[in-house]
Formats: sequence, structure tokens, C-alpha cells
Amino acid sequence: MRRALLSLVVILWASSGAAQAVSPSGFVDGSVFGFPQTVPNDATRIVGDALFRNEIVLRPADWFQLAAGLDLRVNSHDQVEDRWRLDVEDRGVLRPRAAVRRLAATVAARGFTLDVGKQFIRWGRADIIYPTDRFAPRDFLNVIDSELLPVIGARGSIQIASETLEAVWVPRLTPSRLPLLDQRWAAVPPEAAVFSVADGGSVIPRGSQYGARWRHTSSRVETALSFFDGFNHLPDIDVRPRSDPAAIDIVRVYPAIRMYGGDIALPTDRLTLKAEAAYVTSPPSTSDEYLLYVIEAERQTGEWLLDVGYAGEMVRQSRVPVVFSPDRNMARSIIGRASYTVDPRRTVIIEGAARQSGDGFYAKLQYSQAMTQHWHLTLTGVGLAGEPGNFLGRYRRNSHGSVALRFSY
Amino acid sequence: MNSRRDRPLIAIAFVVGAVFPVAARAPRPAHMPAARGESLAAFDARCIPAGCVAPRSNTPGILGRCALPAGRLARLGATPDFHHGLQGARPAADARTIVEEAQKRGRSGSQRYEGLLQTFEAQGKTSEKRWIYERLGSHGRSKVIIRFTAPPEVRGVALLIVNHPDKASDQWMWTPALERDRRIALQDRSTRFFGTDFSFEDLEERDVDQFDYKLLGEQAVDGAMCWSIQSTPKQSRSSQYTRAIIWIRKDTYAWARIDSYVKDDVVRRLEYRDIRNVQGNWTALQTTMTDLRRGSITRLALDKVEYSVLLREEDFTVEALRRK
Repeated sequence: MRRALLSLVVILWASSGAAQAVSPSGFVDGSVFGFPQTVPNDATRIVGDALFRNEIVLRPADWFQLAAGLDLRVNSHDQVEDRWRLDVEDRGVLRPRAAVRRLAATVAARGFTLDVGKQFIRWGRADIIYPTDRFAPRDFLNVIDSELLPVIGARGSIQIASETLEAVWVPRLTPSRLPLLDQRWAAVPPEAAVFSVADGGSVIPRGSQYGARWRHTSSRVETALSFFDGFNHLPDIDVRPRSDPAAIDIVRVYPAIRMYGGDIALPTDRLTLKAEAAYVTSPPSTSDEYLLYVIEAERQTGEWLLDVGYAGEMVRQSRVPVVFSPDRNMARSIIGRASYTVDPRRTVIIEGAARQSGDGFYAKLQYSQAMTQHWHLTLTGVGLAGEPGNFLGRYRRNSHGSVALRFSY
Repeated sequence: MNSRRDRPLIAIAFVVGAVFPVAARAPRPAHMPAARGESLAAFDARCIPAGCVAPRSNTPGILGRCALPAGRLARLGATPDFHHGLQGARPAADARTIVEEAQKRGRSGSQRYEGLLQTFEAQGKTSEKRWIYERLGSHGRSKVIIRFTAPPEVRGVALLIVNHPDKASDQWMWTPALERDRRIALQDRSTRFFGTDFSFEDLEERDVDQFDYKLLGEQAVDGAMCWSIQSTPKQSRSSQYTRAIIWIRKDTYAWARIDSYVKDDVVRRLEYRDIRNVQGNWTALQTTMTDLRRGSITRLALDKVEYSVLLREEDFTVEALRRK
């Protein structure tokens, strides 16, 4: 598979000059994160990150499209692999220095679309928390500023009038990338702080995953039902004692799950109401079974776009004491986002979440400005607060600011 | 939690609508049949830009719909012979008839062009965006896809607009950074088009039946004689504008200018310039919207304009938005 994908990359780049329609694009992005406080396992306060991304889309015919993307990264805080190799699978603990971000062929004809290869597959309709988005692992090396990861698989959809049926098959799980144990976003629970914690590795299952989604789109209502059978890209944490009683191993286990989900958007004269819910079961009865849902109300008024909602969770069966699951851990919260368009070049965004129990808070303020046609500046401030036992509260010393400068071409 | 770079992309998507209001069919040769057999309901001017709207209560003296002969004809689906008469510069029977004719001449089954949108802020700052625009279908029932091509930061953002003759359009946006489509909520149509001088309302396609018209007289705009017509909305419509005055060229039935009022003040001015005959359609290759309250200007320039382009219905869907 890897060799075939790499061959396709070479062919794409080589043939780009002769193809009928070629759309190259990309950017160089430099970011600096500043953390005012240190944490017990990480004294670094300044982290620098740079990313070069290049993407090419070829359309040899109206019904056929090839898309390829390449990422090159460097990082000042050991978040990127040292080796120079072209990574295709994106399953490592560290970010690859060079990675195939996208490599997919698309056939589209008469309402039927088939995408095969490394691609992004998104489900759901909610913002901030995405209960049904099961084919979208993320890079959580920075938990608050996570990035999507692509998956390798096939996605087919057929649209008839206002109905769309989508089927997805992914031969192997791509797990989310978790915070590094020796870095600040690891946020070891207080009860484990007395132990020496070591990375015991990951247990990535070999089976395939599949899912289907029916979507209805119309003026009055948009709705979808979805089904997923596969593995959770967010792990259960298996804590294993070592011979030294003061040391433990952390092993990431990706449990088999089955999900039944749905989402709806209901535009009204004053608000757009949105809801998304997923009921997750554990067929082998090894993981938690729960309902995760989000209810939101969105309104555009003047230059403001306001979005307020509630994320909730109902646990039917709790089997695992420790999980890494930002979506579940952010549940039982009031969530909100407001964006203000100052002018065509400037935008301000405020985003936040507050646990209903009052033990965890998160707020983000972001200012974004296009400086020229190619240069874009983004300033971000993130505040985190709460009790040590809460997911957000654990990151209370991770409040930070960042500056990102991007040159796009 | 989304990437910090996702949001700004949204800010541009709407600029596009500025495209709508521009074409009027060129006069046919005298021997050529004109509108006979065509239903008024299918009138397809590139829309009455939203400026032509106002609550009835604010516009005393406007004729009711029943008083308009053309309105009755439209309801009955009749094909009035006066279409032929209007091909030339013969004086129109009334304001509504002029507007209907202007819309009818703008009809085309499909259109494609490359657009350049420039916004000039009062402080002297400018911004530019480019896109490819494709429309399939006639006025009020058309589907439009706009794909942004520049600046690089927004390349790949795509907007699908499904227009309805009797209500606000449905819109979805594809944002590459998010890898998902998103329905655009339009509860407040007076919202500026993500910072440009067009409001959402200015970008809607509208049917002639949604407004009342009153002929105010004749006046020259950019050297061309125009009918000056006051436009107000039906009672069922709401608008940010109290009224609007539109100018339609007598020689080509092309839109020349629209002044939109809030109470007695002109708040936005839309001007159509560089009007040329493209494949039989009088097309304004340059449209300028001035926000007189803010002192800023947004200019839309059209390039590579084509009508009656072969487009596929299947490419105007939410699913198709994600294709590059």
C-alpha cells in the first residue's frame, strides 16, 4: 500500500505539467507559543513550530480528479521525528518530518462520487465538539489547538435529489496523536503524579472500519443518520504496574466500538438550531458505553456570528477508569463561540467552554489579519482554569499565547 | 476545537453575490421573435438587487399590486404582446413592465465568469478576492457555485447558493481547512457580506412580484437616458431599506444604478459600468457598491463572461462542493 501511494505521488507531481487542470497551492507557516507557567513535567515556556504544506489537484477530466499534498515540519520542542523519511500512515507518536497529507483519486459522475486514498472524512454538524465524527482522528500534541489527521480508505456517496447516502471503508485505524508524556499537555491525573510514568506504547488494532451515513438536505431542515463499526481513534488508557512499585507504564488501547448517530440543523427566522448525538457501544464489552450529544443555537446579527450550546454525556456502562477523550471530557459543559468580522481583512473570534459543575473553564481569543495578499497574521490567547481533577482544570498551567505568521501561495 | 486558521476563511465566502445583478439581454433584430411564448414567471433578470425593497408602511402612495396590469398578466401566466414593443426604445407602459422587461432580457440558462472583488476602506486599505462563478438555471430558481481562487489563504473555499423565487436563498460553504461543509445561517440579511459593502440582502435574486414599482421619470446616468423607478417591497417582505430608486437604461434595458434608502437617506449606491453585449446579453463588466455611511467602496469586475455554458446539474450540490 505504502509503495503504491508513493508511486502515485511521484506520478502526480511528474504529470502535473501535462494535466488538463492543475491547482497548486500551499503555505509556509511559522508559529511561536508562549506559556507563562511551567508544569512539573515540562519546563519549556517557548515552543516554535514551522510547517510547509504543498497541495496539487489535477483534473484530467470533468469526472476524475487526483489530489496530493505534502507536509514538511520542524519543531523546537521535540514534537517532530528526527528522521527524514516520507511518512504515509501517520501513526507515530511524534509528528513526521515529511508526510503525505493527502493522496486521493476522485471519480464523480451522475450524482455518484468515489474517493479512494488518503483523505479527510468528516461527519456531523456541531461545532467545538463532534460526537459522530468517527473517521476524523486528530493531532492532540497541543490539545487546545488540535489538527485533523487524514485516513486511508474509500468513501462512496450517491445523491438523489435531496438525499445523500455515503459509505466509508477504512482498512486500518489511524489513531489520534496523543500528548507526549514528557510534555505539558500530557496532564497526568493527580493520583498518578506520585509514580514515574513511562510510555508503554500503543495497541493499534488491525481490523478494518466501516460506516454509513444518510443525509437529507432541504431548505426547512437538514438531518443525517450515521452508523459506524470500528475502533475509537481516542484510546482507553491501560495503566500497567512495573517491577518498580513507584513506576507505571501507560499503554494506549484503541477499543472496538459501534456508533449510532444523528444530527440535525433547523433554520428558523431568528436562529439556526443544531443538534448532534452519538450513542457509542462496545461490542466486546471492554470499553465505556455512552451517549454524547450537543445542542446549539446559532445566530448571525450584524457582523457577529454567535453560537451557544450545551454538550452533554450520559454514561450507560463505565468500564475504563482512564480515557483520553477531549470530546467526552469537555461534555457537561456550556460551549460558545462568537466571531466578529471587522472588515474583509480582519476577524476576531472568541470561543469558550465552562463545565456546569464549575470545575473547568476554557476561553480562547483570536485575532486574524490578512496583511497582504500572501501574508496572514494570527494572534491567539488561551486561558484555562479549573480544579486538578477536571480535564480542563488539569491544564490550568497551560494558558498561553501564540503568534502565527503564514505566507500562502 | 478547530484550527486557529479556519475562521478567517469564512469571512470571504459571500462576496460573490455581487455578481448577480448585471445582465440584460441585448435588443434582438426587428425580424427576430422576442418574448412570445415565454412565461413572465420565468423572468430572469440577474435579479433586482435587494436595494429595491421597503416596508409598505414607509412608502405611502405606492400602488397596490392589483393596480398593475402586468402583475395580473403574470399571475395568469399570459404572454403579453408588449414584449415586442419593448425590444426597442419605445416608452414603457409602467414601471413594473419596464422592470419585467429588464429582467426578461437578462435571462440565460447558465453563466460562467471570473470575478475580481476589490474593497476600498475609508482609511485607504484595500483587499482583493478572486473567484470562478458558475450559474445554472434561470432567475429565482438558479443554483450558483462560487469557487475562490485568490488570495491563496482562501483558495478552495466554495459557496453553493440555491435561489428561491419567494424566499431567501439557501447557502452552504465548503471550507478546505475544516474539510466540511456548513450551512450559512441568514437570519440577519442586513449583515455585511463578511466585511464588504454588499449586505446579504443585496445579493439575493428576487422576483419582480415581490415589489411594487413607481415610475418617477427619466434621467441620464453615465450619459445614457434611463427610467427612474422607485421600488418598494410587498407587505410580506422585510428589508433593511425603506425604499430604493433604480435606473434602467432606455436603450438596452440594462440596470444602470440603484440607490437604497433608509428613511430619507441614501445608504448604499450600486452602479453598473462598462456595460457590453456578451453573447446577446447586456452585461455590466464592472459593478461598484458604495456604502455611503462607512465611506467604503466594493468593486466587482467580471472577466471571461460566458452565457449558455454547458454545466452539469450534479455539480451544483452540497456533495459537489468538496470537489476542487
